[in-house]
Amino acid sequence: MIELRHVIKKFASRTAVNDLSLTVSRGEIFGLLGHNGAGKSTAIGMMLGQVWPTSGTVNICGHDVTSQRALALKKVGAIFEAPAFYDYLSGWRNLEILSHYTAPTSKARIQEVVDWVGLTGREQSKVRTYSHGMRARLALAQTLLPQPELLILDEPGGGLDPEGIAEMRQTILRLHRELGLTILLSSHLLTEMEQLCTRIAVLNQGRKVFEGPISEVKASRRRVALQTPDFAAATTLLNERGMILGSERGQFISLKEDVTTADVSRVLVTAGIALEGIWLHEETLEDFYLNLVKPPLLPTNKN
Amino acid sequence: MFFAQLKNELWKLFGKKRTYIGFIMLLLAENGVSFALYKTHFSLQKRLLENNGYALDAYASALTAAFIVLAPIAPLLLPLYVALIGGDLVAKEAEDGTLRMMLCRPVSRVRLLVVKWCAGAVFSIVLVIALGILGILCARIWFPWGGMFVLEPEDHVFSVFTASEGFYRYSLATIFMLAEAFSIMGVAFMFSCFNVKPAAATVLALSLLLMDFICFHIPYFQDYQPWFFTYHTRVWVCMFWEHIPWWRVGSSLIVLAGLNLTFLVIGCAAFQVRDIKS
Repeated sequence: MIELRHVIKKFASRTAVNDLSLTVSRGEIFGLLGHNGAGKSTAIGMMLGQVWPTSGTVNICGHDVTSQRALALKKVGAIFEAPAFYDYLSGWRNLEILSHYTAPTSKARIQEVVDWVGLTGREQSKVRTYSHGMRARLALAQTLLPQPELLILDEPGGGLDPEGIAEMRQTILRLHRELGLTILLSSHLLTEMEQLCTRIAVLNQGRKVFEGPISEVKASRRRVALQTPDFAAATTLLNERGMILGSERGQFISLKEDVTTADVSRVLVTAGIALEGIWLHEETLEDFYLNLVKPPLLPTNKN
Repeated sequence: MFFAQLKNELWKLFGKKRTYIGFIMLLLAENGVSFALYKTHFSLQKRLLENNGYALDAYASALTAAFIVLAPIAPLLLPLYVALIGGDLVAKEAEDGTLRMMLCRPVSRVRLLVVKWCAGAVFSIVLVIALGILGILCARIWFPWGGMFVLEPEDHVFSVFTASEGFYRYSLATIFMLAEAFSIMGVAFMFSCFNVKPAAATVLALSLLLMDFICFHIPYFQDYQPWFFTYHTRVWVCMFWEHIPWWRVGSSLIVLAGLNLTFLVIGCAAFQVRDIKS
């Protein structure tokens, strides 16, 4: 559904997106992760034909966005962080205005979408009277009007309270389950991404530093929490024995492939280092992300 | 689809309160000037008419007052309000973020601009018609119906018409004022397509027009007046010549049409290469 090939975007001398290649297949919920200014919104802008790539190609639904924008975006819906509407008009009028830039849309279809997102009864009210949550629903409604196959959601939880975020998460899952949509989701909310996405890509300073399934993220490293009064001595010893890949935050070690927690316990106890606890710690997306974009606190022993 | 999109653009445009500023101010200005004329009893016009053998009573009418009101409003207030709307059409939407919502849709940027330009043109038509109708209605409050006397020294116009002929000329002038309104809206619209704030687009357009207007009135440039934008936008004044110079009207309309097309093409080209970001 989405295919970016060696895409570069420069704003004057600053490179916002650097050689980005990305593929999102039909039926996926794909997450785009990255810090502020990592290039996520620029990449999404290029997918929607709002930002022109300096070089490379962007294909959406099999069409080049640069040269065949109308065809490429025919079955695409998008939501941005803090979606903007004509606040002085009603929700219904906003939906009419936006839908007519895709195709003629019947009143019945607009009503169907209004009902689906749960705005029934408030569709004739002026948008300026809407709460954040209602605006988010209206944003969702406008994306659903052209019966899209692909949804591009740029920080859809922005400005929502925890309840709103949970509602948005359920809605995204519902869209995927009930309508079979392919979804590209960009968000800072790592736990949301972890719960929703089947695959992710991580951008750091305009470059893609990871692309793969969430399951791969979790299995990528075997982290162990080590509770000992002398963590430094313990990691130095384990490093000398070549049993660990590295250590973090005075609490975690990453085991080499063939090393077990029993091996670690035996080595530490034999060396006389007090061991108060040791257990496998499943890596969260946040741990994985922070490790990707930040250097580890202690360097790995090259031996 | 085009008309559905245009209808929606008009909903957006006429749904905003600021769209009505022009109508309200024109109403106040036209009524204010008419009232001032009523209080001063056409003292300047009286002397000129009597020196030329006409009686003031026959020409101190709603039509004469309407022209006197129209003469300064058309080059000063009308450009302000059409430039305000023209400057808003694209830049305000870009500033508010709604342009980004629209450009998620499979609509070409050129199509979007053409629809918006047409909405601006419809606004110009409504404003000019309101200017004409309000002008005559406000004047009619204070003056009786009667013959029309037109004095416009700048264009060397000194004409007298019967009431029916005067009304016909006044209507024609209102229609030809559309050329001025379209062109000024077009300049502001062009600037609006660039990556600027809406106020900047309006100010740029008005600055350009004022510079042209000032140069047009400098005696040194008198021989070059047909090269100025102001010369062509004043085509509506020709409707009050004793014999309408259709050749000049035609040539001015062609020049304005060409300029409008050029402004639109420049605007489209600038908008086409722009990155639309939040």
